[in-house]
Amino acid sequence: MIEDGPGSQHGGQFGPGIGGISMVTKQQQNDDSGQRPQYSMPGILHFLQTEWARFEMERSQWEVERAELQAKIAFLQGERKGQENLKQDLVRRIKMLEFALKQERGKYHKLKYGTDLNPEDLKPPVFDKKNEDDVDGNDTSITTSSTSNINTSWRQGRQLLRQYLQEIGYTDTIIDVRSARVRSLLGIQPHSGDEPDGIQSGLVNGEPQLTNRNEMTKSRSSGKKNQIEGALIDTEDAVMTTFDFLQPEHVVDDEDDNLSDENEDGGAADDESDERLERKGNKIKIIGNESMAGMDDVDPETEEALAEFDFLVSESGEGAGEARSHGDGMPWEKKGEGEEWVVNHSHLSKLKQQYKQERKGKKTSRPSRSSLQAMLANLSSDDDESPSSSPNNSPRSTNIPSSEPDEIAVQGNNSIQFSMSNSRKPILGGVAGSDEDALDAALGLGDLAGLTVTNESDPLCYDIAAPKEVFRKTWNAKYTLRSHFDGVRALAFHPVEPVLITGSEDHTLKLWNLQKTVPAKKTTSLDVEPVYTFRAHVGPVLCLAVSASGEQCYSGGMDSTIRCWNIPNSNIDPYDSYDPSVLQDTLIAHTDAVWGLSIHSSKSHVLSCSGDGTVRLWSPGTKSPLLNTFTVDTEDGVPTSVDFVRCDPSQMVASYTSSNTYIYDLETGQQVLKLETKQNSDSSSTNQINRVISHPTLPLTITAHEDRHIRFFDNNTGQIVHSMVAHLDSVTCLAVDPNGLYLLSGSHDCSIRLWNLDSKTCVQEITSHRKKFDESIHDVAFHPQKPYIASAGADALAKVFV
Amino acid sequence: MKIKMAETVPAAIIRRNRPGIKAQDWGNWQDESFEEMDSTLAVQQFIQQAIRKDFTNIEEILTPPEGQDEGVWKYEHLRQFCMELNGLAVRLQCSECNPETCTQMTATEQWIFLCAAHKTPKECPAIDYTRHTLDGAACLLNSNKYFPSRVSIKESSVAKLGSVCRRVYRIFSHAYFHHRALFDEYENETYLCKRFTSFVTKYNLMSKDNLIVPILEDQQSIEGESEA
Repeated sequence: MIEDGPGSQHGGQFGPGIGGISMVTKQQQNDDSGQRPQYSMPGILHFLQTEWARFEMERSQWEVERAELQAKIAFLQGERKGQENLKQDLVRRIKMLEFALKQERGKYHKLKYGTDLNPEDLKPPVFDKKNEDDVDGNDTSITTSSTSNINTSWRQGRQLLRQYLQEIGYTDTIIDVRSARVRSLLGIQPHSGDEPDGIQSGLVNGEPQLTNRNEMTKSRSSGKKNQIEGALIDTEDAVMTTFDFLQPEHVVDDEDDNLSDENEDGGAADDESDERLERKGNKIKIIGNESMAGMDDVDPETEEALAEFDFLVSESGEGAGEARSHGDGMPWEKKGEGEEWVVNHSHLSKLKQQYKQERKGKKTSRPSRSSLQAMLANLSSDDDESPSSSPNNSPRSTNIPSSEPDEIAVQGNNSIQFSMSNSRKPILGGVAGSDEDALDAALGLGDLAGLTVTNESDPLCYDIAAPKEVFRKTWNAKYTLRSHFDGVRALAFHPVEPVLITGSEDHTLKLWNLQKTVPAKKTTSLDVEPVYTFRAHVGPVLCLAVSASGEQCYSGGMDSTIRCWNIPNSNIDPYDSYDPSVLQDTLIAHTDAVWGLSIHSSKSHVLSCSGDGTVRLWSPGTKSPLLNTFTVDTEDGVPTSVDFVRCDPSQMVASYTSSNTYIYDLETGQQVLKLETKQNSDSSSTNQINRVISHPTLPLTITAHEDRHIRFFDNNTGQIVHSMVAHLDSVTCLAVDPNGLYLLSGSHDCSIRLWNLDSKTCVQEITSHRKKFDESIHDVAFHPQKPYIASAGADALAKVFV
Repeated sequence: MKIKMAETVPAAIIRRNRPGIKAQDWGNWQDESFEEMDSTLAVQQFIQQAIRKDFTNIEEILTPPEGQDEGVWKYEHLRQFCMELNGLAVRLQCSECNPETCTQMTATEQWIFLCAAHKTPKECPAIDYTRHTLDGAACLLNSNKYFPSRVSIKESSVAKLGSVCRRVYRIFSHAYFHHRALFDEYENETYLCKRFTSFVTKYNLMSKDNLIVPILEDQQSIEGESEA
């Protein structure tokens, strides 16, 4: 289709061109006769050229639009297909649930009354009744059978069902668990308002309607957000009761449906099927599978759709009207495209405008669509159906769904309904009166929110999101790790798990599992209790390193020893019995406090530096673990910090109290290079380097200085690359994120700062810890894969930010 | 500028344990008076300073600065005790106290102590009891619920300190009655049991009957070699 387009347009293009020429010649003749010689040949050519250029431009615009539309068609077709799959799946589940429920009911009634009374007969009327109250005259498809039952009987039925469930043996704890899940779902929901916004605005880049659309999206989502927030408060109770009542059914579902491979779809999807179960149970005799579309037309949705249009009206006066009639618009537009290019400009502009309006109109249905997408993504992620998984999906989500008119035509004349045709609101419809609109919205977005959250914890997405962080990611304190009795000197994350280890001046190390939280009084920050305490050091623990496998960790202490630990399982019982094998080995050679440790990224080699003036290279676990010892002249003082050179695994870098920094070759033990760290420091001899780290990918060494500076050095030349005053007090610690884009620094000024390594600008500052004596922050760390950062403080706390 | 310089002169001592210092220089700085300590951790700083100055001078260590809230004072001391008890636990764990030899937490033959860290108290081996008790004390004393602040402490939370004292004291008593040499060695280096006994006696955190380690002079009617 797109191949044909330009060709035919080309053909059409000549028409007006030729016509123009002939017209102009005529005009010229007329002008000649009228004694007006302004029309010279160059003038005409110029006119023709401009006309031609204009047409060319318009043609290319049309092509762009056509391509967009085509993409939209493809997207919508995919979406529709996904929806059909979803529908099929849900119908299947409904049937199974129906069957189970019927059996249960039959059983119960046989037991109780000895008859086959159908208690569900009580209920369909209720829903029909409810619907009927709201349904408009033209929604004939749903006014199937109306009965005279009223709310009270519905309540009775509900009560009855609850009793059944209790008899079957679903305890309150299950209900509680489910309701907690719903609560959490709703709790994160306001967040989700931003997410689609961010994604969309990111994705429309480069498209012609950029600003226009962004504005649309923004105002849209903010409006939606308010709506949701308000509704959330109003309806939470209603939601809770509804779900309390319904959730046990889900359990039935899980048990009966041994095909339910998408048990992890998330609460919303399951809940849907629950609710549908109820509804189907009621209507089973009346409506077949095909009636889903008919059921969509329940009134609450119409109301919401109207509300959406109200919003639209307020934004762009007559646009709403056009959007309303957009069902006709698309074919018309297509016709226009196919026609010869003799169309006048007003027609063109009208079409364009309409196109834009439609686009706007379509936007109004976006949230429901995005919720659907979320569901689809959930489904497809289980089905391994990559085309509709969210990363692939999202670029297309900016497009206009042009295949929609068909669906509308099927459904009825009222174009307002278009928003329902692909929303999943109908599924939840008829639950509990007017509250359900908000519930729908909340659940829809809640579902989406759940999806984005999972994506965020996904390492892949973290990588993708990293460049964007400058603009939107701000780190907030999430976990407070309190259990140490004295300052926390070091911390390190597990390479994969949300687990970290801290080492403290209270002689212990502690293992923390961030997934095992203690419900804290204030929800802003979660408390974590340690799952294991490592005891063996007989003095403060000063440094710490975790192996790349996450199985071992090494700690250096004031007692001159380096301890090698086997990290226990992060789900260990904190009060398990003592396992001496946790302490795997002790490396003894240093004669004074061990101040720095660094672990090789691939080999199991460990570097340590000590107050005894030496840097040592170890191969723990071997017979003679000490591989090499590096010493310097006494005037260089003692090493303060050491690190492997990450981009050259055969080198290491060490800083000394003299504020000199050397790069050594690990094989020969010789100094390869002296970084110019000293020349740049002040004349005062106290300007020691507290931490030296190597950039994970670049030949760059970064040093944290006592004189508040962070300095960057080139590993090849030893020259200083950049120097900056980074803190208000001495800089104590540094960490670079695994991608090498951001630098984290901590200082005794009580703050940690995040730096963009590219621009060397501070992205965020967080005041994190309190002072003990004149010390405040001892260590900072990035999680190697997950979006966590952490800081360790002299106030005996460690904090984790997300 | 000059005025500022003049102001900073008295505060010129920066009390930091910088990377690279020798073990002997740890915390080796001029004492800071309590009034000058402006941090929220002043009480801990004060206690640690006093211990570092002279760990044998129990009376001075246990003398609170003027106007100090007693709850916080007791709390910070107990934190310090639990922290230093890690040292004793490490020694026990590294030496003869293992689940085979000390299958139960006992001191005298009179009592078997049950480990309160579990849902139903159970007869943990001595080393497990020690570890669990210290871990439990660390959790309790750092609990956001009971001790959200280290500056002021609720009266109801202060009441918790007594039970922590009772439990951690059993570590002393077990070490004393079953690993006497180790206990004496540690006690000589730290005076920890002496300080603890004085502390709980002074603040009436434990009943005298429970203080079964005869370590203070007025308890020493039966033993003479504990100082050895």
